[in-house]
Amino acid sequence: MGSLALPATALASSMLMIPEGPFIMGQGNQPPHGPERHLFLRTFLIDQSEVTHEEFQTQFPGHRFRKGAAQHPITKVTWYQAKEYCEKIGGRLPTEPEWEKAARGEHGFIYPWGDHRPKKRPHPFYSGVVKKNVGSNRQDVSAYGIHDMAGSVWEWTADSEGPSNIIRGGLWNLHLDFDYSKSYEKAAIPPGERLSFLGFRCVRSME
Amino acid sequence: MHVLAFCAAFVQSWWGWPGAARADTDYFSGTDFVGKTRAGKFKQFYINYWKPMRRIQAEDWALSIGGMCENPLTLTLEQFQPLPLRTQTSRMKCVECWSAKGQWSGFHFSELMKLCPPKPEATGVVFHCDDTYTEHLSLEDLNHHRTLMVTAMNGAPLSDEHGFPLRVIIPSKYGYKNPKAIVKIEYVSELQYGTWSKIGPYSPDGTILPGTDHPLDLGKTPHRISGGEITDY
Repeated sequence: MGSLALPATALASSMLMIPEGPFIMGQGNQPPHGPERHLFLRTFLIDQSEVTHEEFQTQFPGHRFRKGAAQHPITKVTWYQAKEYCEKIGGRLPTEPEWEKAARGEHGFIYPWGDHRPKKRPHPFYSGVVKKNVGSNRQDVSAYGIHDMAGSVWEWTADSEGPSNIIRGGLWNLHLDFDYSKSYEKAAIPPGERLSFLGFRCVRSME
Repeated sequence: MHVLAFCAAFVQSWWGWPGAARADTDYFSGTDFVGKTRAGKFKQFYINYWKPMRRIQAEDWALSIGGMCENPLTLTLEQFQPLPLRTQTSRMKCVECWSAKGQWSGFHFSELMKLCPPKPEATGVVFHCDDTYTEHLSLEDLNHHRTLMVTAMNGAPLSDEHGFPLRVIIPSKYGYKNPKAIVKIEYVSELQYGTWSKIGPYSPDGTILPGTDHPLDLGKTPHRISGGEITDY
């Protein structure tokens, strides 16, 4: 794992480097998770954490958020807004393979930290999203040091499926025993939607 | 219905006796009351009410609009007739894991805002329902193009069970954010917790999350959902 110091003007949030190499994408043989395949990606940089309200406000000064939520992941942004933000800071939205490699590591872990479920179960009933400061969950860290890829909020990717865009990630407070926090989990949402469980992070190619 | 018989029905529908089928039993058909049921045709679209309540009589009903608005007013059912109607088909998803689909007709909330404009500081609305249920929705959510103030379902006026004479349909949110049998609309300047959010583990936001749905009209077979409005089936 490596980190790269970048000029503050180039990238608002801390990015980490995902080294060139193979990784396992997908799980099983059937959609939506399969087929499992071995892919190769060149080196790229990815935000260590999801984009926060405070970071988003640096590029969109009209953005407002409630007191105490500056370091919460921004949500209720369309895919177009997420894409624009990333481009403004010199990056782009991650492709699905980039997101999944950053979450699973080279060995195709089920969860960012490995294959075992956490001992502490998610809240069994709560129907909504519990937002905390990004990076505050010390277990939800991938082999590359990337935070919040199992929990926190779902994230837009650059890829699409029909008229919708692929989202990746999961929430901590689902009553589904982490089924939807697996690193190969995915869903699709129309790009114009603004949803309370959906944020994003950015990547940048290494030239 | 004799008041004692109704009280017994109420207790049964709410808490149930040991081994009783509770909502599978039809306690309300043929009575002056409406309440939670899954009996008969409602096996295809479950009915939840906060409390059993007397059926609303059209001639007695009026909607009051107040709170942080410029000119509080009261509207009768007849006064809704000129409002432009829209129709949409959408699925209502409940936090209890089931969903059901309907064709809903009604008007956009902006029509009410024209009649009773909110003050600049108003950010949302608390709906007060005839069974004492309350629920909050932001003006942003109410002005979403898929949010509808519904007066008819599947080509007929709303039934008592589905919230006669006025309810909200907001397909991107769980059923508890779709209040029915509305009698009062109150503009507010801050988020308010609705009935379920106050007492239960239901978020005040109520957006449908990614997960699994068990649609009643599709035999309750598990369907993956992406979150937000369910449009795949």
